[in-house]
Amino acid sequence: MDSDSINNISSSASNCKDLSRKKRRSAKLKQCKLDARREQWLSQSAVKNKGCCKEGTNGGDSKQTRPGERDRSLENLEMRRIDEANGGGENGSVQHESDSESSPSNSPTSIGLLGGTGSGISFTNSSSSSCSSSSTSSGGCCSGSITEEEGDNGCLDDWEAVADALAADDDKQETERNENNRENPCVGSTPGHEPSPQLGSNGAGSDLRNAKPECPRMVQRATGNSRAWKADDAFRPQTLPNLSKQRSFPATDRHFGQGGVSWARSSAFPVPSSCPICYEDLDFTDSSFLPCLCGFRLCLFCHKRILEEDGRCPGCRKPYEHDPLETEATVQGGSLTFRLARSCSMIARS
Amino acid sequence: MKASRARLFKEYKEVQREKAADPDIQLVCDDSNIFKWTALIKGPSETPYEGGVFQLAFAVPEQYPLQPPQVRFLTKIFHPNVHFKTGEICLDILKNAWSPAWTLQSVCRAIIALMAHPEPDSPLNCDSGNLLRSGDIRGYQSMARMYTRLAAMPKKG
Repeated sequence: MDSDSINNISSSASNCKDLSRKKRRSAKLKQCKLDARREQWLSQSAVKNKGCCKEGTNGGDSKQTRPGERDRSLENLEMRRIDEANGGGENGSVQHESDSESSPSNSPTSIGLLGGTGSGISFTNSSSSSCSSSSTSSGGCCSGSITEEEGDNGCLDDWEAVADALAADDDKQETERNENNRENPCVGSTPGHEPSPQLGSNGAGSDLRNAKPECPRMVQRATGNSRAWKADDAFRPQTLPNLSKQRSFPATDRHFGQGGVSWARSSAFPVPSSCPICYEDLDFTDSSFLPCLCGFRLCLFCHKRILEEDGRCPGCRKPYEHDPLETEATVQGGSLTFRLARSCSMIARS
Repeated sequence: MKASRARLFKEYKEVQREKAADPDIQLVCDDSNIFKWTALIKGPSETPYEGGVFQLAFAVPEQYPLQPPQVRFLTKIFHPNVHFKTGEICLDILKNAWSPAWTLQSVCRAIIALMAHPEPDSPLNCDSGNLLRSGDIRGYQSMARMYTRLAAMPKKG
C-alpha cells in the first residue's frame, strides 16, 4: 500500500459524503492526513490539559479533542445502525463493512497492550463509557471504532506525557469521587467489579466518573437478580471483562472486542501467555486461536510449521482436523489480513 | 534454525531459573554450541539403578522442536531399551510419539520413567529383555545393579 494511493482514495472518497458507508471510509482514511495535525495537537494538549481536564465526564473527551472526527465516528455509528435496521439486500454488505471496521480495532489495542502503555487503554475505556451514555444500545460497537482511531496514533509517548500530566488532576477527582461515594452509596459497588487493575489511576478515575450516571440502574439490577451483568446487558459497564469472547471468537468479538482484550491480559485465564512451542509471547490473534479440540494453544506460526510437517496437535498428538480448522482459519486469516493492511498504512504514513 | 535456537535459549533460561525444581535432573548446555546438551540424571529409587548417576548426551536437530532431540546414554547401563554399546534409547517419545510441546527437561523425566518401567517387548538390549521376558526379575536386577555400580557410581578409593 502506498501513501499516495491512500491520499487519492481518501480525497476521492471524501467527495461523496452522502452515503454513510463512504463517509465512514473517508473518516477512516482521513486519519492518515490528520496524523500530523494530531501530533501537533497532542503536544499542545499536553499543556492544555493541565488546565481543562477537571470537567468531570468531559474529561475523557477533552483529552482527545479532535471534535470533528469524534462526532463523525459517533454519527457513523448511528448511520450504521440505521443501515442495519433498514436491512434488506444492503444488510449483508453493511455487516461486512462493520466487520472490516471492527476487526482491525482489535489489533491496535493488542499492539498498545504489548507496548505496555496503560494510558492508551485507559483513554479507550473512558471514551467508550462516555460513549455508551449517549448511545446505550451498541456501546460495544462504539468503543470498537473509537478505539481504532485512538489506538491508531503513532505517538504513544505523547499519550504517556498527557497521562502523567493528568495523574495529578485525577487525584483531585478521586477525592471528589470519594465524596460522591458517600452521598451515593451505589457507586461504591463499582470498584468491586473493577476488572482491570492494570489500568492506571487515570483510567480507573475516569471510568468511575463516567459510569456514575448509570450506576443506580446497575445496582437495581444487581440486587434484583443478585448476580453480575450479562454480556449483552445494556447497563453493563464497558470496562467489565467479557468471558464469552474467549469461547466464541467470531460472534461476540465484533461487539466486545475491547473488553475481551483487557480481560485476556488482566486475568489468569488459562490461555498461556507464551506459545509452548516457540516460547514467544502470544499476541491477541494467537491467544484467540484454538486449533484443536483438546484445547492446546499455540501461535499461528508454529501451527503452520506443524501443519507443514506431520500435522499433529502437540497436545494430544491427534492429527489436526481440517474442517473445523478451516473455518477457524478463515476467521483468523481475515483478521490477520486486516492487521497487515493496518500496519501497512501505518508504515505508509510514517 | 533461528526458531530452534530461540527456543533452546529460552529452555536454557528456564533450566537456569528452575534448577532446584527437579533435583534428579541436571541439564547443562555446551559452552560453545547450544545444540549440544548433556544431562546428569539420578537413577530412580527402588530400581537397580538407584544410587547411580547417568550421563545423557543430547544432539538437538535444527528442526527442533518439530523434530525430537537425539538422546543417548553416555554411561553404560543394563536396560532392555538402551543399547548396551551405543547408549541409544528406544523410547516412543523420541521417535514417532514426539510432540513439540516436550522440552529437554521433560525428555529427561521420560527417560527416568523408562528406567523405572522397562519395556522388554521392544528391546535394544536383548540380554536384558530376555531376562525380563522369561520372568527372571532377579537376574535382570542383579545384572542392572552390577552395571550401575560399575559404571554409574563414583569409584570408591
